[in-house]
Amino acid sequence: MASVQLKNIKKVYPYISGEDKKKNKKKNADEPEKKINLQITDEGVVAVQQFSLDIKDKEFIVLVGPSGCGKSTTLRMVAGLEEISGGELIIDGKVMNDVAPKDRDIAMVFQNYALYPHMTVYENMAFSLKLRHTAKDEIDRKVREAARILDITQYLERKPKALSGGQRQRVAIGRAIVRAPKVMLMDEPLSNLDAKLRNEMRAEIIKLRQRIDTTFMYVTHDQTEAMTLGDRIVIMRDGYIQQIGTPQEVFNHPANLFVAGFIGMPVMNFFDAELKREGNNYFVELSGVKVQLDEKKTARLLKNNVQSQPITLGVRPEHTHVSDTGVPAKVDVSEMMGSSVHLHVNADGRDVIIIVPTLDMENNYNYGDLVHFTFAGNVAHVFSKETDKNLEF
Amino acid sequence: MKKTSESAAAGSGGNSKMHNTLVYFRQHWQLYVIFMLPAFLLTIIFRYIPMGGIAIAFTEYNPIRGIFGSEWVGFEHFQRFLSSPDFMRYLVNTLKLSVFGLLWGFPAPILLAFLLNRILSAKTKQKIQLVLYMPNFISVIVLCGIVRILLAPTGMVNMMLGTSFNFMTMPSAFRTIYIASGIWQGAGWASIIYTAALSNASKELKEAAVIDGANIIQQIKAVEWPAIKDTVLIQFIMSVGNIMSVGFEKAYALQTDLNLNASEIISTYVYKKGLLDGDYGFSTAVGLFNTVINVILLVTMNSLVKKMNDGKGI
Repeated sequence: MASVQLKNIKKVYPYISGEDKKKNKKKNADEPEKKINLQITDEGVVAVQQFSLDIKDKEFIVLVGPSGCGKSTTLRMVAGLEEISGGELIIDGKVMNDVAPKDRDIAMVFQNYALYPHMTVYENMAFSLKLRHTAKDEIDRKVREAARILDITQYLERKPKALSGGQRQRVAIGRAIVRAPKVMLMDEPLSNLDAKLRNEMRAEIIKLRQRIDTTFMYVTHDQTEAMTLGDRIVIMRDGYIQQIGTPQEVFNHPANLFVAGFIGMPVMNFFDAELKREGNNYFVELSGVKVQLDEKKTARLLKNNVQSQPITLGVRPEHTHVSDTGVPAKVDVSEMMGSSVHLHVNADGRDVIIIVPTLDMENNYNYGDLVHFTFAGNVAHVFSKETDKNLEF
Repeated sequence: MKKTSESAAAGSGGNSKMHNTLVYFRQHWQLYVIFMLPAFLLTIIFRYIPMGGIAIAFTEYNPIRGIFGSEWVGFEHFQRFLSSPDFMRYLVNTLKLSVFGLLWGFPAPILLAFLLNRILSAKTKQKIQLVLYMPNFISVIVLCGIVRILLAPTGMVNMMLGTSFNFMTMPSAFRTIYIASGIWQGAGWASIIYTAALSNASKELKEAAVIDGANIIQQIKAVEWPAIKDTVLIQFIMSVGNIMSVGFEKAYALQTDLNLNASEIISTYVYKKGLLDGDYGFSTAVGLFNTVINVILLVTMNSLVKKMNDGKGI
């Protein structure tokens, strides 16, 4: 149990040789200084930069973002598997930049389980304790306690190859928790499991977290995992933090277009619209339909002294409603999802998704049907056309 | 109950996989014939037909009369060799050279592979590997020439030691010279197979070991050794199977009249008897004796390894 502070952390992967650098420069001579959206400098490729985060004791932090955004690199820097190019990593009040991984008092769960194939489950779980010269009866007690928590006692004498994916991941978690680490790091631990098992293991991790009271750093690209597990979520893109907040905060108040599009399933609908300020009131106007923003949003926009301007309007599919009047659209596809129907419509050349609860459905929607949709003023997100940032921030 | 049904499912899965393979084989048998026929023919022509020559070991072979025209002498050549006063010396020399060669030479490429695997820079690793592989391409005779020059009384080794020993005339130095030069020449090249096997060691597993607190030796023991263990065992079985097949050329090229006590081995004896003295029948019998011992060692070692290694062997 410990707090973790990352202060302006930076990771640069240096060029292997001068020749590589020249080659890269030649390749990118006609392009801007970006490759796969990561910044390229004279030092090398910058994978993570300006990463500052205070993780409280016993907090569950989830790093989420698309592939290559730097989330795993950040976790590996905390683990000590990657050198930190700049900034400070502090665990439990001590600077850990140059401390060996084994001395950081951390444990890590890997995506591919990383179990020693020639050892039994018991030996796998006991391995780190053995290396620390823990007494045999103490090792036995800890291993059996962890096995009981994870419900793998019956597999202790088996080798990893005789276990299913879910069981292996439990063993991997068990191996981490026997050490009672100050910080538990998890690098996409559920990615290799099928959807059903992933849901089960997600619930297991939530239960585990309540039992083993430690600080968690969890990396995933799956927003559902991020939303369900994290006390706070760190959304990353191209090596930068995009937003840090509780699941509710990032869902209800996305800081920019990227976060708005990344969090939420199906993805948020975006429209080219106009923000209009009329005295102390704000309206968004979309295809002739004018919706007044609610008091809270208005207050935030007023605080930022936002003026009338063209904006990117974001409305989540679950907040978009079919109505008699509103923005006209034509039905493209109607997907029956059980409790709701995902209606894909085309509004002025844009694809829009509307979630219609099955109970509210008066009739079926067919290809080419004309519908109208609208939304409320408290769920409309207004983003600057120039900076992609939420104008409320 | 669940376990039974799982095993039944696994069994039926295995059967259906085998069935699919058979169906595929039946449908595409021509492909297999095209690919396998040349190898099959080459094996028959160059490996099995020459085995007929084994008959020479049981005859007083005369090249003019041919194998079947020569006088049949049964096991006479074998008796002659086994009762010869020099038999034990040749056998002991051969065994010492190969057993010590195996003891010193077998671990060398494995250690080299572990060391190479620790080099993080791919370019540096490539350069070092190139340097290590190069001696393998030097012919044995050239290598022996180099060794003779280096170990000559006025050679580099004596210059460095400040002595003037004639190492090539010392029977006690022969085995060290033979084995050390063999390691220098072959260890780099032999490490390729282990380096390749080590590349299969899971990177995540290694990182997990680092976080668990394993030092380099413990990492090798927990992650790298299990990754190459099967390869090492197979290589070991093969090496034991060749224990009597000490290369003739090198021993002959390093041989001097004064180190014969240690350097005369079965293969050099076969060469001298067979080709120099023209005693083909006797020489073939000695060669066959050598091969039979090799086969016995191979089979014994394989079954021993299988017992120790969960049934894994050749």
